[in-house]
Amino acid sequence: MDFIFYFGEVFTLTSMLLLIGGTIGGLIMGATPGLSPTMTVALLIPFTFNMTPVHGLILLGAAYTSTVAGGAVSAILLKIPGAPANIATTLDGNAMARKGEGAKALQLSFISSLIGGIFGVFLLIFLTPVLAKMANSFGYSHTFWLAIIGVTVIGSLEAGSVVKGLLSGCIGMWLATIGFDDIQGVKRFVFHPALGGGVNIIPALIGLFAIPQVITMFAKGRFQTDIKQITVKKHPISQAFREVFSRKRALAIGTSIGSVIGLIPGVGGQIAGLLAYDQAKKFSPEKAKFGTGHSEGVIAAESANNAMVGPSLVPLLTLSIPGSPTAAVLLGGLIIHGIFPGPTLFQDYPEVIWPFINSMLIGQILMCIFGIYIASLAARVAQVPQFIMAAIVLGLAAFGSFAVQQSMGDVYVMVVLGTMMYFLERFGFSAAPLVLGLILGPIAESNFVTGSLISTAQNGPFIYFFTGGLNIVLVSIVILSVGFSIWSEITAKRQET
Amino acid sequence: MNILQHKLSSGFVACIAIIVCYISFTRQPTDAYLFPRVISVFFLGLALWTFIKALLGLSKVGNGLSLTMFKNMFPGILISSIYLFIAAKSLGFYTATTIAFFLLLISYDPAPHTNLNSWTKRIIITACFIAIMYTLFAKILVVYTPRGMFI
Amino acid sequence: MKKIIAALAISLIGISGAVKAEYPERPVLLMIPYGAGGATDFQARIATIPAGNDDMLGMPVAIINKPGAGGRVGWNWFANDAEKDGYTMGGYNVPHFIAQSIKGGVDYSTDSFEPIANWGSDPAVFVVGKDSNFNSMEDVVAFAKSNPGKLTFSGAGLFVGHHIAALQIEKAAGVKMLYIPNKSGGAGAMKAVISGEVLAGVNNLSDAFRAQKAGTIKILGVADLERNAFLPDVPTMMEQGLDVDNTSVNFRGVMVPKGTPQAVIDKLAAVVPEMFKHKRVAQKMKAGGSPMKIMNRAEVLDMWAKRQTTLEDLLKGL
Repeated sequence: MDFIFYFGEVFTLTSMLLLIGGTIGGLIMGATPGLSPTMTVALLIPFTFNMTPVHGLILLGAAYTSTVAGGAVSAILLKIPGAPANIATTLDGNAMARKGEGAKALQLSFISSLIGGIFGVFLLIFLTPVLAKMANSFGYSHTFWLAIIGVTVIGSLEAGSVVKGLLSGCIGMWLATIGFDDIQGVKRFVFHPALGGGVNIIPALIGLFAIPQVITMFAKGRFQTDIKQITVKKHPISQAFREVFSRKRALAIGTSIGSVIGLIPGVGGQIAGLLAYDQAKKFSPEKAKFGTGHSEGVIAAESANNAMVGPSLVPLLTLSIPGSPTAAVLLGGLIIHGIFPGPTLFQDYPEVIWPFINSMLIGQILMCIFGIYIASLAARVAQVPQFIMAAIVLGLAAFGSFAVQQSMGDVYVMVVLGTMMYFLERFGFSAAPLVLGLILGPIAESNFVTGSLISTAQNGPFIYFFTGGLNIVLVSIVILSVGFSIWSEITAKRQET
Repeated sequence: MNILQHKLSSGFVACIAIIVCYISFTRQPTDAYLFPRVISVFFLGLALWTFIKALLGLSKVGNGLSLTMFKNMFPGILISSIYLFIAAKSLGFYTATTIAFFLLLISYDPAPHTNLNSWTKRIIITACFIAIMYTLFAKILVVYTPRGMFI
Repeated sequence: MKKIIAALAISLIGISGAVKAEYPERPVLLMIPYGAGGATDFQARIATIPAGNDDMLGMPVAIINKPGAGGRVGWNWFANDAEKDGYTMGGYNVPHFIAQSIKGGVDYSTDSFEPIANWGSDPAVFVVGKDSNFNSMEDVVAFAKSNPGKLTFSGAGLFVGHHIAALQIEKAAGVKMLYIPNKSGGAGAMKAVISGEVLAGVNNLSDAFRAQKAGTIKILGVADLERNAFLPDVPTMMEQGLDVDNTSVNFRGVMVPKGTPQAVIDKLAAVVPEMFKHKRVAQKMKAGGSPMKIMNRAEVLDMWAKRQTTLEDLLKGL
């Protein structure tokens, strides 16, 4: 209960100003395609050099939580996920915005972010020692199986054909192998110098989601661009709270999956939203509504995204191992101030760490308040004439993908991939499974290769990958997940005929 | 028409799958291509399945393309390609963005070109967008965009 | 805070071109070929803190990260695409980029870059988990002798400092061990040691120092010519009878692409070492457990040339 005594530090004038500034800035950054949480935190680090460690960390903590939530804004309004974490939010959130329910979707997303986020931070406060042990027990084989579990989600993302969904996933995994192989350092599939750096996830994400929309708008031609006039429906905030709490199943699934996935180093929050979405869909009696603007989809995805923030810091704070790219940046921010995370961190630096964690709690609440305010304004984005939207999205995509690594190569990859995606989408392929493949491919590959290498010194790959309690649990989840997809496919077909 | 397009598109994907498979199984060192081999086998299998389905005329998902759509998207794609592949580096990122943004508005704004008001509106929107981008990326984030003849 | 605002303000004037001053008239980029938050990245951020001071560059240095394949992605970009006007600097890690260029398949070598100055030297250390039975390099070598190919040990990648140290240890002890390169760099390699996925590991001294303080690992030896000030109790490899010199020590510094105007190189070569010597840099580096070694351009040129020959010898058989 130590953390309560350190709230005083958070409620000083400087801390509150930093919290508010960090939260609002984080929301805006998160909402800009290309400015992922990792990048935002990295950009803020130089500013913390001249602050006290407490103030610096409060700023970073507030920015981290709010950029993760802010990514939902562009996912819902523009169908461009601000970061990989928000892919699942596009599925139902954007469908809602197209129906004029953008305000509702944003409110739901911020409220579920708040609930998931608070739960995650409480886990961090009360269960850190237990969670640290769990995080540490994840080896190469387990992470490999987790990536495979991620692949089985594809069946749920695809509204049309499952085969084309899987094929899109394969294309994504192949695209991820382009560029230098991370372990051997060999160039693979580099057909053009711009591909030398590989297909980076953020530019690819922007291209695959933004460019098809821009071209779709172009294809409508000059005089048809304004046909569909969307009326923005107002949505009272009390109703949004009631809605979130009446969707207990989605909220519970999102929060619990987000917290568990957040713990696992290397997988991080990138797939938490998608896994939660998949499970929420599988357990929902209203499966058919998913993908058409169903509130459960938004609630599950966004509660999972923010629930992962707290636990994702556990391996960092207790073992000094950054579990995600953002945590790696935060580690740098800690070390610069001479603070070494480790098992004794909470005893050695309580006056720094507790205000930091408390600020993440307060930050969640501020994030929700400002987010809901933004929601009331931003929902109007759906009313912007489409030809203006197309030009804006193209410009944002160009700047966003350039800014990630300040590289024109990334811009070329973004626009070429996006154009190809437009044509593929016309024939039933889709972007979400492709991006999932792009994210999971490298995780699966490196853990598989490293795991099999280690297994040669032990009892061979079969024993390494298939024995041991955790492996068996994970493999069973894979089998169950695939089995469930096939089963529901068959029953759905039977109902049709 | 639609079935022919399905044949072409899935045939194109199958071709890529064959190339990927061929490269994965022939290039050295073998260690580095272990994972691409596994992926490319699945990739090829699924691509061929889709292709055969399309040949049999069983592909239904997706709406295909029409000639009008191509005609409509042509100016947009032309402007975007020149903007990103040529102008962004030779003119400078901000200048190229300004010009491309304005040209896109002209090409797709349904308002009549003879009306002075619609021109003022286009200029104001372009100016606002560039001002926001410049403040955010050049001033706040210090992103160093390519400079050509201009910034 | 005020200083940053001032620096930003100056940079804004610089960007808008109102003042046409001598180099540098706008912020300078520093490309780091490793991810944000890694040892190289955060040391670079510390080392460039004073850049905005009037007696230094007078302009802030902005870090951009281009991680991938042990630095190959970033250095390839730096050799091929970086502007040669002095506004794009790059971080180097020796022996990494030299070893990679000898191994081949990349577009750079020592001839592609012009060194400016060196800020740090981070020796590789041999680490084991805190509950490991190994308490000295002798134990490790004895185990490896009786179980050839069974001793797994992790490192940041292939043809980086850790791998060089691994090769040297194997060669000196005459044993065969199983080196496990890690995709996510030094942090991932350290995690494998802590969680017991591998029996041992080679890692950066700065990261190992931190992990040892956190009580998660034991450090058995330093691959350097003498003991390190951060770890006065840890013996060198030589002291433990393994003929391993300082070839694998990770030197970190700043360079520019070949073709940058000589005037710019001269200016940077004069200013940058002074910047590294700044009081705040030294203080923050010490707090972060990062050993510093400041070298000027001439010294770095000499060091590069020496490493080139030793690494060519070492990697000949591979």
